[in-house]
Amino acid sequence: MTTLISTDRVHITQRNFQQILIRGDGKDRFNQIITKETSLQPPSKNLEIKTSDQYIFAKNSFDQWTLVYLVERDYKEIIKTISNLNSNDEILASDYSYGQVYFEVSGENKDEFLNKLTQFDLRNKKFPDLSMAQTLIARIDCYIYKLNNKYIITCNKSYEDYFKERLTDLINL
Amino acid sequence: MILINCPYCGEREQSEFSNGGEAHVARPKNPEALSDKDWGQYVFYRSNPKGIFYERWVHTHGCRKWFNAVRDTSTDTFLKIYKLDDNRPDISEFKSTLKSPSGEPSVGSGNFAVKK
Amino acid sequence: MSAINNKNCKYISQVEIKITFDGKSYSAFDGDTVASALLRNNIRLIGRSFKYHRPRGIYTCGIEEPNALVQILNEHNEPNTRATIKRTYDGINISSQNRWPSLSFDIGSINNILSPIFSAGFYYKTFMGPKGFWKKIYEPLIRRTAGLGKPPKNFRSKSIHQNHNVDILIVGGGLSGLIAARKLIDTNNEVLIVEQDCFLGGILKNSNKVKSIDGKNVFEWVNETEKLILGSKNIKILKNTLVTTYNFTNHLIALEDKFVGKKIDTNKSELTLHKIRTTHTILANGHIERFISFRNNDLPGVMLASSFEKYIERYGVAPDENPVIFTNNSSTISLVKSLINLGCKPSAYIDSRNKNDIEDETKDYLSKNNIPFYPESEVEGCEGNKKVEKVYIRSSNKEISSIKASMLCPSGGFNPDIHLFTQSKGLVKWDDKIISFKPDTAFQNTITLGSVSGNYKFKDLCSEINKKLSFLKTNELNLEIETNIRDDFSIKELWETKTNKKSKWSKSFIDLHNDVTTKDLQQAINEGYDRIEHLKRYTTNSMGTDQGKISSINSLGIVSKILKKKISEVGTTTYRPPYAPLSFAAIAGRSTYEYYDPERKTPIHNWHIKNNAVFEDVGQWKRPWYFKKYKTETMHQAVQRESKQTRQSAGILDGSTLGKIEIKGKDALEFMNLMYTNAFTKMKPMTSRYALMLGEDGMIMDDGIICKINDKHFIATTTSGGAPKVFAHMEEFLQTEWPHLQVYLNSITEQFTTFNISGPKAREIVSKVFSDIDFSNEKFPFMTFKTFNYKNTQARIMRASFTGELGYEIYISPQHALELWELIFKHGKDFDLVPYGTETMHLLRAEKGYVVIGQETDGTVTPIDINFNWMIGKKKKDFIGKRSLTRSDTAREDRKQLVGIVPLDKSQFIEEGQHIVECENLPSKIKMPIEYLGHISSSYHSPNLNHCISMAMIKSGNKLMGKKLFVSTPKGTKNIPVEIVSPVFIDPENKRLTS
Repeated sequence: MTTLISTDRVHITQRNFQQILIRGDGKDRFNQIITKETSLQPPSKNLEIKTSDQYIFAKNSFDQWTLVYLVERDYKEIIKTISNLNSNDEILASDYSYGQVYFEVSGENKDEFLNKLTQFDLRNKKFPDLSMAQTLIARIDCYIYKLNNKYIITCNKSYEDYFKERLTDLINL
Repeated sequence: MILINCPYCGEREQSEFSNGGEAHVARPKNPEALSDKDWGQYVFYRSNPKGIFYERWVHTHGCRKWFNAVRDTSTDTFLKIYKLDDNRPDISEFKSTLKSPSGEPSVGSGNFAVKK
Repeated sequence: MSAINNKNCKYISQVEIKITFDGKSYSAFDGDTVASALLRNNIRLIGRSFKYHRPRGIYTCGIEEPNALVQILNEHNEPNTRATIKRTYDGINISSQNRWPSLSFDIGSINNILSPIFSAGFYYKTFMGPKGFWKKIYEPLIRRTAGLGKPPKNFRSKSIHQNHNVDILIVGGGLSGLIAARKLIDTNNEVLIVEQDCFLGGILKNSNKVKSIDGKNVFEWVNETEKLILGSKNIKILKNTLVTTYNFTNHLIALEDKFVGKKIDTNKSELTLHKIRTTHTILANGHIERFISFRNNDLPGVMLASSFEKYIERYGVAPDENPVIFTNNSSTISLVKSLINLGCKPSAYIDSRNKNDIEDETKDYLSKNNIPFYPESEVEGCEGNKKVEKVYIRSSNKEISSIKASMLCPSGGFNPDIHLFTQSKGLVKWDDKIISFKPDTAFQNTITLGSVSGNYKFKDLCSEINKKLSFLKTNELNLEIETNIRDDFSIKELWETKTNKKSKWSKSFIDLHNDVTTKDLQQAINEGYDRIEHLKRYTTNSMGTDQGKISSINSLGIVSKILKKKISEVGTTTYRPPYAPLSFAAIAGRSTYEYYDPERKTPIHNWHIKNNAVFEDVGQWKRPWYFKKYKTETMHQAVQRESKQTRQSAGILDGSTLGKIEIKGKDALEFMNLMYTNAFTKMKPMTSRYALMLGEDGMIMDDGIICKINDKHFIATTTSGGAPKVFAHMEEFLQTEWPHLQVYLNSITEQFTTFNISGPKAREIVSKVFSDIDFSNEKFPFMTFKTFNYKNTQARIMRASFTGELGYEIYISPQHALELWELIFKHGKDFDLVPYGTETMHLLRAEKGYVVIGQETDGTVTPIDINFNWMIGKKKKDFIGKRSLTRSDTAREDRKQLVGIVPLDKSQFIEEGQHIVECENLPSKIKMPIEYLGHISSSYHSPNLNHCISMAMIKSGNKLMGKKLFVSTPKGTKNIPVEIVSPVFIDPENKRLTS
């Protein structure tokens, strides 16, 4: 974990997590298979997040989920889980473990700061706690997860340098 | 910048979406059976009315899902947004704001400022 | 007469600062604008007008200013700054504009004598001929004299964007806005108030019209209100922020100046562009006073009455002790009261209303203070040498008398400031009571409060606000507002006064910014321009940077009288955003220079930098274009070296940017057959195939290599730039056309890093790196792939290449990318492995006649045009684009087809983009266009063949093998003789590829 920005109002760190991207139909058989292979119940409501200190399991839209492991696991196990999921025709699981970059944003002014880079409505009445969204931040396609007063923002790793420069540039202005 | 209510993600800025042209134009089931002219009609021609228009949108920078919409092109207002598998709303559902033969709505086109 | 300081003004500090104007130094107070500072120093002449170069002074005290545009010489050398808005600071250096050699002696004023030429339609009628004069004479001359200020030479300022999402936006922190805000304190609504000044209060601080609110003086009431608002949990205030634009769905743009009254720190963000999305917009942005047209109404010394009053109350300076006041309404009496309070006295009070309509309070106050009173009278004109010296009054008996005066303050009435309301696509309606347009039908969630809604009665204000905001279910607010003016607004229509004096110098202006006279309006109508939109453009009336804020309604009044129509029939022109000039730097925000577009880098980007790669942009990606082996190596040398060495030993390319899509499901095979031209049904698992994707019109859209894991699981690659497009294209068809197909897609472009290694030594190198894999030709044939485990991550190797050499594509997890790349070089060193970039890649594939999407193809090329008929699955019933291939135009035999081209003289070089023609020389007189047979799509100097090789698209290319033709050159008229050959220049039997 590296700290990018730390002021008394905004705190941003960068971390790496392992992740699986899952496509499927969300019906009974799908839920059974997921629960069997991951020991986790997939969320059923669109944009809902189920979380603990070990993972974030989010439903991105009616046929896509992201499972982010907040605590590093033995990568061999993750590969095995993916392979087992893929043995079912009606599921596609892709390994997203090393191609993404993750930023944790917290602090009193996090909303105002992020709203310099995105038009997305971050207010609790529009973006409740324990929900997620896919939107544009700094003109990059991102996933944003809202958990207990902090955001985890993730995007493709190729954008890492640009995104970091945009963040630090704004703090200095 | 218009607000568009994505059926899956909620209200978002227009810049997150891409317009997909006219809706309910199905790909012919048997392209080989069509003449060049009829096939060309499907590939190249779409309606472009002033007023109520059925069209498609995709949430490019969000969930990447397609959906349909009914929009009044003269005032840019979204009258209804519906999912791909929902029934197509009938045109009688919408109170048209078009008034005169030239088709200018009474308010909202921005083409005139004084109330007639 | 000179200016008087108002020491009671609470909005100006008494701290003295030094300013410079046109080279001379003056004192001012901290808090002064440029205008109030100059007035304090009795400077009345501030600029020269746009066309006629007439002397001009400060006309107003706000953003509606048409004359006082100055250049600020510090920091950015910013031109066309409104002196009435720009705050001074210690050391500010100001220069007047549009005059040479000096403000008082300006040669440009000769334009005034030539004024008959500059009348209406000037821009449309003159400069038409003779032929050639425009380019050589008129345009250079106009460029030198056009514009007002001088553009800055180097300009780079930082601005940021700030997005807001609120429930209620209140535009304007004046009386109405503050009352609305008080009602919303600590309710469930998130509220944002935007105010353009640095103090709240609006008319309460800008004028003397309100005496008290609930028994408190206005300053106290505003402070108390501000404190309450700042203590609330739900209301924020933005000061120094001007709302410029009101867009559809309640999206507003506002510009905040972060360095008001301070020297600009160019390291910080100077301007913030606020982009506000709101559920309800409350417009409380007030009204603007309008002028009256009369003879020489543009002389320095003529200033709007409310503006004069604002200088006294808001900026603490009365510009003159004894101005003449000329009005047609009941509110101007508050200016008289302000002057009397300061110990000054107007020279005359001219009221054009009928004696019976003038309120007793006014008559009494004027008589009590011995102010010369002219009821039922008007100003016929004024005269003076670069300033007002005499004012001519036409009394009720039509006789004209003159008095000496140095300042004249007209008031023609007040216009609700409907700019933002009409930008929101709302409709306005003419109101005969206030003789102006007021908002009528809103198109969005817009509420107007106070004077902007046409309500000029202070005593009605609270009930109006309570009623209009009742849907928010807040507490009622009732305030006791006491005024210094008659509460029931009275006005008599007066747009202009006429004169009998004939003189070239005397003009009656209808637009001060663009120098349009009332005579121009008449002339334009005589010439047939009687529609208001035509009239505006023909005369340039209200087309200046002030958008005619103080005058455009007057022009409608005058036009309606000429045309004998009602003003509502004449209509108004469309008010366009922005409301006031909006800096481009603010609009761009931080998306400029290095942040203009997001940059994408591959996982081994730093290795490329360390090894002296020169990068090129491919979409958003940074790809190595070529590597510089030594400092002085040119691009040509590097590319020749890389290409030669790859064919001699081995070369390796970072191919991570190419798109990769994972396709899986029960119906994956059917889906792939529909999306691509190839037949995938009989394709064996663990093999790869080069595939083409067409649009429905039969034209090539993208290409890639498809790896079939099994009938239900594929991985497709795409071009780097096409990746998002192909993925979206596939999703579109799955969602909208074939939802019955059970297929899922995931983009895995970033989940694998790709290395492309090729060359005669490639096999030996990869065998050393991956010692567990058998790379022999029997065990690892061309166009097959293997999956394997690399340090517990999934990896893949595919045997394929884009260079025509024996080659492999390695797909590896990004976490091991750099170490593997370095390991490959460690082993590769013994085999002369060279890193190469995109330019070499293009050269090598050209030697093999491989097409590049976007170079040989341009959206009008079918597979048959490039000899790829063999890629079309003939037995397939349907795929996207299939039907279009048999359209009569797509099936034509004389379409442009892919060929190779070599120059007959092997030392010549052919440029990309040049045309293929039949003639060697251009005729000396070109009577007809030369027939264009085709164009060169790719061209390189091949180091392996030692001459230029080109690929071209030429009509009926397939029938032209061996034919001798010519290719044009960028410079000369002699075309290069060439021969049409096969586009495969090296190893046409593919021996190297399949070895």
